Amino acid sequence: MSTVAATGRWAFLLLVYAFVVGPAAIIVVDSFNSATSFPAPFESLTLKWYASIARHEEFVASIRVSTIVATAAASIATALGILAAYALVRFPVAGRNAIATFLLGPLLVPQIVIGLAMLQLIELAGLRIGLAGLILVHAVYVMPFALRLTLTGLARFDFVLEDAARSLGASRWRTLWHVTLPVIRPALVSGFVFAFILSFVNLPVSLFLTSPQTATLPIVMFAYMESRIDPLVTAVSSLVLFVAVGITLALERVFKLRLLG
Amino acid sequence: MSEATTAVRVADDATPPAAWALLAPAIAFLAVCLLAPLAATAWLSLSPNVLVKFDGPGLDNYRYLFGKAYYFDTVLRTLRIAFNVTFVALAVGYAAALALKGVARRLGSTLIVGLTFPILAGPLIIVLGWMILLADGGPLIRPLVQAGWIGPLRLIGTETAIVIGLVHFTLPFVILTVYASLSQIPDDLVEAARSLGAGPLQVFRRVVWPLSLPGVLSAALIAFSLAASAYVSPHYLGGAAQLVLTTLVGQFILTTFNSQMAGAAAMLLLVVMVILIFAFTRLMSRFIR
Repeated sequence: MSTVAATGRWAFLLLVYAFVVGPAAIIVVDSFNSATSFPAPFESLTLKWYASIARHEEFVASIRVSTIVATAAASIATALGILAAYALVRFPVAGRNAIATFLLGPLLVPQIVIGLAMLQLIELAGLRIGLAGLILVHAVYVMPFALRLTLTGLARFDFVLEDAARSLGASRWRTLWHVTLPVIRPALVSGFVFAFILSFVNLPVSLFLTSPQTATLPIVMFAYMESRIDPLVTAVSSLVLFVAVGITLALERVFKLRLLG
Repeated sequence: MSEATTAVRVADDATPPAAWALLAPAIAFLAVCLLAPLAATAWLSLSPNVLVKFDGPGLDNYRYLFGKAYYFDTVLRTLRIAFNVTFVALAVGYAAALALKGVARRLGSTLIVGLTFPILAGPLIIVLGWMILLADGGPLIRPLVQAGWIGPLRLIGTETAIVIGLVHFTLPFVILTVYASLSQIPDDLVEAARSLGAGPLQVFRRVVWPLSLPGVLSAALIAFSLAASAYVSPHYLGGAAQLVLTTLVGQFILTTFNSQMAGAAAMLLLVVMVILIFAFTRLMSRFIR
C-alpha cells in the first residue's frame, strides 16, 4: 500500500502548501517585476520598487512609527506577561484558571473592537489620541501571546533549582538573575519577538487610533491601497515578509526556538 | 486528582501576597486598557444618535440593528462565513496534520515552521495576493475559463472570496493545533491497537480520532473566533456589498461617523462570539469526557 499512500500524501501536502504559500509568493514575485502596471506578466527582474520605498516619505516615517509602537507594546506585554506567568506557575494561586482565562481574554475580543473601545474611552474622557494610546492598545492585543509563550517556558522550569540556590545562600534577586532568568530566557525572547511581529503587521487594532503623525506601516499601506494598488505596495509587503521570516529562521537556528506550534 | 486537592487547599486564601503582587500589574493593565474601554463602548451603544433617536440609555440601537434587514443580514453573514470557514479549515487542516505526522520528523518540523510564515507576514500581503489570484482574469480563473470548465465568474466581492481568504488565514492555526494534539498520542497505543489486529481505518476511528478531539475542539474555537473577528479579508475580498460585523463597525466610524451605532455593532459581535464559544465548549466537553 505504501507507495500509493505516500504519493497521495505528498500530492495532498503539496496542494496544501501551494494554497498556504501561494498568495504571498505571487506578491513577492511581482515585487521583482519591472512592469509598471499591476498585476502584469513578468517582464524582467528589477529592484527599483524596493529602491523607490526610500523615496516615499510616508512609508519611511511609518516604518519608524511601527518600530517604536511594536517595541514599546512588546516590552510592556512581555514584562507584564512574565510577572503573571511566574506567579501562576510558581505559587498556589486561588482561582488560577479564572485568572489565566482573564489574562488571555484579549484573544477573544476582536482586534477592531479592542481599538474601537480605546477610541471611545479616550473620547469620553475628553483626551487626545496620541502615540501612548496606540502603544497601550497594541500591548493589550499582544499580551496574551507573550503570556502564553512565557507560561509554557516556565512550565518546563524546575523550581527545585531556585530552592537549591537559596539554600546555598544566594539572595532572592541573585537567584532570579543567575538561576531562573537564564533558563527561561528562550521563552522570554520568543515571547517578545512574537509580540513585536504581531504588533508590527497589525492593522485593525490601530485603524481608529492613528493620526498622520502616528500612522503605522499597515495603516499607511491601507490608505495607499484605497486609492491604488501598484508594485510599490508589493515591494513594501515583501520587505516586511522577508524581515519577519528572517527573524523566525534566525531564532529557530540560533536559539532553537519556535514561535508557534 | 492532585489538582483538585490543591484547589481545595488554596481555596481559603492561601495565595501568597507575592503572587498577588506579581499578578496585579497585568490584571490592573487589562482592567484599565481593555475593560474600562469596553465599558465605554457598552455605554455609548445604549445612547441615542443621529440614526436612532430615543430618550436616555436603552436598547434601541440593538433593536434597530436586528430590525433592519440590511443590518440583520450582516449579522447572519458574519456567522455563516465563520461557520463555513471553521468547517472547511477543520476538514483540510485535520487531513494536513495527519499527513504531516507521517512525514519524517526533521522534514516535518521544517514544514511546520513554513506554516507560520503567512501568520508572521501579516494579513495585508496575503489579502493582496488573493486579490490578484481571485481576479476575473487572474491566474486561477482564466485557465479554467479558457479550458471551458467553468463560465466567466466573478469572485472578488462575493462571500466565497471571503471564505477562501479566511480559510487561508485560519488554516495554519488549525494545522498547528491539531498536529500538536496528534503528537501527544503515544505511539504505543497505536502499536497496541495494530498488534491486536486493528486495520488502519479502525486504528484511526477507535484510537487516533477520539484522542485528538480536544485538539479539534480548540482548533475549531480558534478558527471560529479568527473568522468572526477578521477585518482585512472581508474588507478587501468582500467589500461594501458583503458587510460583516467588523466591516460594519469600520463603516460606522470611518464613513458615517456614528460612534454609538459602531459601539452597538461591536458589542453585538463580542456578545454573539462569547455566547457561541461558550455554548460550543459546553457541547464539545460532553463528547470528550
